[in-house]
Amino acid sequence: MYLYKSGIAQIDDVSGGLEAGTNILILAPPMSYAEQLAYALTKPLPGEYSIVLSTNERASEVIDFFKVAGADKRFTGVIDAITKSSTPGIADTQRLMFVSSPTDLTGIGIKFSNMIETIFEGDFSEGEPGLFPPPIRFCVNSISTLLMYRRLEVLYQFLHVLTAKLKKTEGVGIYLLNSESFDEKTLSLIKQLMNCVIEVKVESNVSSLRIQGIRGVTGEWLKFSVTKGQVVILP
Amino acid sequence: MISTGVSGLDEMLGNGIPRGRKVLYSLEPGVDGQLFMISSLSCALAKGHSCLVILPNTTVDAFHSDAVSKCGAKLDTKLKNVAFLDSVDRERIQKSAKTTAAQKREWQARVQKICREREVDTIFAYFDLLYEDFGLEGALDILATAQHERNATLILEHLNLEGPPLLSRFIQEQEFDLVIAIRSSSRPIPHFNYFTILHCSWSSLPSRSVPFVISGNQIVPYVPKIVVTGPAHSGKSTFVANASDEGRSVDRAGPDGDPTTVALDYGWLRWKDFEITLYGTPGHARFDPLIPPALNHAMGVVLVIDATKPDTLPRAQSLIELITKKKIPYVIAANRRDLPGVMTPGEIRAQLQIPAKIPVYPISAKVRQDVHRVLESLVDYITQYPV
Repeated sequence: MYLYKSGIAQIDDVSGGLEAGTNILILAPPMSYAEQLAYALTKPLPGEYSIVLSTNERASEVIDFFKVAGADKRFTGVIDAITKSSTPGIADTQRLMFVSSPTDLTGIGIKFSNMIETIFEGDFSEGEPGLFPPPIRFCVNSISTLLMYRRLEVLYQFLHVLTAKLKKTEGVGIYLLNSESFDEKTLSLIKQLMNCVIEVKVESNVSSLRIQGIRGVTGEWLKFSVTKGQVVILP
Repeated sequence: MISTGVSGLDEMLGNGIPRGRKVLYSLEPGVDGQLFMISSLSCALAKGHSCLVILPNTTVDAFHSDAVSKCGAKLDTKLKNVAFLDSVDRERIQKSAKTTAAQKREWQARVQKICREREVDTIFAYFDLLYEDFGLEGALDILATAQHERNATLILEHLNLEGPPLLSRFIQEQEFDLVIAIRSSSRPIPHFNYFTILHCSWSSLPSRSVPFVISGNQIVPYVPKIVVTGPAHSGKSTFVANASDEGRSVDRAGPDGDPTTVALDYGWLRWKDFEITLYGTPGHARFDPLIPPALNHAMGVVLVIDATKPDTLPRAQSLIELITKKKIPYVIAANRRDLPGVMTPGEIRAQLQIPAKIPVYPISAKVRQDVHRVLESLVDYITQYPV
């Protein structure tokens, strides 16, 4: 089974990386570098592919992050749920697809399937072949925004389908959720869909993370920063 | 009648959707099936119907751009005649009416007003958010008054996250006339989409599933694989060659000097809005191990027999056993009808001991018309074959 390197020594040294089919929830307060952490986990390594569903920022901003992080843009796709509301005529490409708003779960599902299909058919990366079957990292940034537009029960059902599909394609999923904006019921329901939770907290302007659900990884708080798309665990 | 915009589907429904009916296109998450609704809208507009489109999840501009990119520029000007209620209206309703009941009344009033003023005869609604806001009965209530008042046709697209139980509610509780589920294979490869007619009130169709591809802004139902099999020298290769728009045969000279198929014949054709790929098997018993894998995932079989050679029928019978074990629909093409000593369909049926529902067609595989008649019958049979 393919193992996805996380770039976090505490995971990679113990288990060799994230197992294919892992779905990770990043539970974090605002301004905690959680977005950078999620993108760092999503960044494709050579031969891999990444798809980001962005409900918070435009595709161009997402691509910029991956560019700075040194990722090959030919292996990175974005489903952008922001831009189309201001630019209705914007057209899809193989790697940049647009849905009208985060409300549009039908559109999000279709674009996600289309991108996966394009990757499997080998038409995603301008003829540059990746590994086969393709390892795919998928990031939802963020569940918090989706929850502002759709009811919890509906979103739960939708994410259930999405996470199951990702398991079938042997990808990994990284999902961001604001830990301070939702009640315990919401958090625990979303957690049910995941195999792993990374909690993030900020104290004295320093972010820390705690990993739960990966065998062999201790659940201690680790201070971290993200530099050029790489997670750095601080002493 | 309103055309669905999918010719193959229209034929199954008996020429489209009659006026005043309630239709549901139910989409599984991730299935690229939005063209069903947009094609129906495009056809309704082309026929001069007065349409209201309700899209609470997007703006008119974004919908316009998507619809034109999916259905082509011909839709561009037609959309100007459509009345819309979109996400902006939803926001306004949510702001102005504080309770769910008040919002429902506001929606109802707006739908009714537009339907009266514009003499709307067809209502298209993207249902997800209405369903989420008001539940199944509440959301349908919003549309029901205007629909009944004008005997309008109601066509819904819904992202079905609840699966079959919700579809049953549409059929049994809400008495929808036509329910079509649009689904996809669960594997990324091979990936295919298909639609299943789950219920049709005006026609006694059995539940049926048909794969489709999107080609040139159109939904094209297709039959991915039809196998042509039969005893040796019955005329299979000739059948495939005459049926196909494109094709290949892999023949070698046999011990008697006649060419015989040693691999598979392959042919492709477009017929009655179905794209069909034909695979012709070799007929000699020594190639029998090839036949079961060739029948895997086949959607239909043409069994070609030589109607002048009764001694080959036991071989045909053993092939029928294989086909029926796999529950694949099949028809019999009784070749060489133009030669003397040919058996009648009744004699063939009796010898093969096949049920009356299996058609037997006397043909000459050299005559394209005969061959196409068999395929037409098989395509009809496949699309009516119970799941």
